[in-house]
Amino acid sequence: MLAIKNLHAEINGTPIIKGMNLTINPGEIHAIMGPNGSGKSTLAKIIAGHPDYQVTEGSIEYEVNFKKINLLELQPEERAREGIFLAFQYPVEIPGVNTSVFLRAAFNAICRHQGAEEMDPIEFDEYLKSKMKFLDMDEKCLNRPVNVDFSGGEKKRNEILQMAVLNPRLAVLDETDSGLDIDSLRVVADGVNRLKRKDNAILVITHYQRLLNYIVPDFVHILIDGKIVRSEGKELALKVEEKGYDWLAQ
Amino acid sequence: MVTQTEKLNSLITDYFEKEQKLGAQLPEWMKELRQQGLSRFNELGIPTIKNEEWKYTNLSSLAERKFYIPEPQPFKELGELHEYLDPAEINVVFVNGDFHPKLSNLTDLPKGVSIVNLTTASAPGIQPFETHIREYQQKFSDPFAALNDAITHGGVLVKIDEKTVLKRLIHIVHVTCVPKENAILSPRTLIVLGKSAQAEVLETYMSCTPVGYFTNALTDIFLEENSVLRYTKAQNEGRQAYHIGTTRIFQKRDSLSENFSMTTGGMLTRNNLMIILENSGANTFLNGLYAVQGEQHVDNHTCVDHQAPNATSNQYYKGILNGNSHAVFNGKIFVKRIAQQTNSYQLNKNLLLGKGARVDTKPQLEIFADDVKCTHGATIGQLNEDELFYLETRGIHRELAVRMLCRGFVDDILNRISNPSVVAKLNKMLAPSFETFK
Ligand SMILES: Nc1ncnc2c1ncn2[C@@H]1O[C@H](COP(=O)(O)OP(=O)(O)O)[C@@H](O)[C@H]1O
Ligand SMILES: [Mg+2]
Repeated sequence: MLAIKNLHAEINGTPIIKGMNLTINPGEIHAIMGPNGSGKSTLAKIIAGHPDYQVTEGSIEYEVNFKKINLLELQPEERAREGIFLAFQYPVEIPGVNTSVFLRAAFNAICRHQGAEEMDPIEFDEYLKSKMKFLDMDEKCLNRPVNVDFSGGEKKRNEILQMAVLNPRLAVLDETDSGLDIDSLRVVADGVNRLKRKDNAILVITHYQRLLNYIVPDFVHILIDGKIVRSEGKELALKVEEKGYDWLAQ
Repeated sequence: MVTQTEKLNSLITDYFEKEQKLGAQLPEWMKELRQQGLSRFNELGIPTIKNEEWKYTNLSSLAERKFYIPEPQPFKELGELHEYLDPAEINVVFVNGDFHPKLSNLTDLPKGVSIVNLTTASAPGIQPFETHIREYQQKFSDPFAALNDAITHGGVLVKIDEKTVLKRLIHIVHVTCVPKENAILSPRTLIVLGKSAQAEVLETYMSCTPVGYFTNALTDIFLEENSVLRYTKAQNEGRQAYHIGTTRIFQKRDSLSENFSMTTGGMLTRNNLMIILENSGANTFLNGLYAVQGEQHVDNHTCVDHQAPNATSNQYYKGILNGNSHAVFNGKIFVKRIAQQTNSYQLNKNLLLGKGARVDTKPQLEIFADDVKCTHGATIGQLNEDELFYLETRGIHRELAVRMLCRGFVDDILNRISNPSVVAKLNKMLAPSFETFK
């Protein structure tokens, strides 16, 4: 589904990703762990198409409906329409844009592209409420501007709500667990697990092993200084939790 | 006499001839007004950018033109005007600067409401107001109010009697439909609200011919004790038009004015809004929005004159500038020594979309009282790239993302208008601007 090959990327001339390889197949859950500043969010933003990062070497290939696409050629909104979703580490507040209006605009944009029926506001409202139920979200959020005056937990739930509404093929969750108490963490993880299917994939970026008790990965990769230094099964997360990253840094 | 009209004769080719024709049958008070306006305009002339009040708005192209006063026209075709006229509202129509009673619907006005041509209004009913304005006007050198005085030969008096609460919107529509370019139009409106009266007025300017002309509008408003007026001005004239509009609001004790000024049209627009808070407890809100593009120029000059204690003024103007457009905001707050416990706020926010767009914004505080709360601020910025990226990662096309953010920017200020019919009309005028946002 996603094949990252020898990826090098920089921002303002500073290299951040320094030769990265990663392959994700449909149905898999991958976790990337690594110390602060190792380039995890950078990778997530590059996959989503953030214009500030320059890829200097390597490639990202995305396969959808047996068609291979050079992801780096697509605009962020085109990537979203092809089924790529990023749950932001720091969701952006957008004053003046109503949350439900925003969600419907996004949903309809993606439906239109994928040839599905668009929904009118009333239909969409029903659809939205069904998605909100299992995220235990306050419906009042819908009438507020996007993420404005949302608590940390509400912002993270709102990211997962968007994932639920947009139903992506590849979801990248950047530190969705940070700032969540244990109950919220369970609700959010449960929400993500419900969205897991055989034909989609999830890339979970996290700093702590904690989240991986709830969203159980097939593979764990350790990212240090822009490179993946080790890839194993889920038990690697426990080892890191116990011993830190230093022993992997060599 | 000829030397006295020198400046006007060089600006308006047929002034002298029209003056004789139109001036003859006017009531005495209006003839006097015209005389005074004439000599005042001849003293002042068209200001240049050396004049501090006109530093950022260059009128040299206007001063070079030769204008003519159009003949009163038998105008029947309402055209797209229909879209804006709601029969449930009180429509007062001006065509080419002249009040047009036939196109207006004034047949069953509610009790306590009268709307008549200024020339037929009773002189004793008007004169005190005109005298009051004249005395105030002496303090300022406003050539365009004087120019309107000099040319005026009519206009409208809107009078809301004491304690009358008018629910229907009064929509004053100014349409310009001139056969050839360089017409000068001088619409004039006087609005008087009696004690404890309440009303809402929308004044719209638009044109149906894409030629260059000059609207020099004047609206004077008197708010007696405890009265409430919601007043919106929408300038949506053609892109070749000059529009200079002066609105002066005189407020008595405990009166309230909620003003909104929107500019989408015109090649060069200057909105002068002066609020004179004459007694304590008078409050005013001045909200505004400009959305301009191409080579448009819009200049909002507000002036709040706090003459008495315990009054508040609250200003919030926002602008979106596309293309090479240029906006000026100058907010003068004047607080007299006796005007203690004045509260005065001012904020101006600008969103630059066009690479060549430019804003000059400045507060101008002249405060002579010591117990005063006065704050002001201004911002000039671009769309937030993080916000755009966030929307794009949700599949929203950049163009739509830009419009969603602009919508949010605009709604923040439009939400201050409580009448949905007014908001709908303003949104209709804004729609073509939105199509240029990307
Ligand atoms: N705009 C920027 N300019 C320069 N360096 C940056 C910029 N943004 C991030 N970085 C650097 O890139 C590195 C990786 O950051 P990031 O991907 O956010 O790390 P992580 O998510 O793993 O904590 C950090 O060293 C950070 O300081
Ligand atoms: Mg990060």
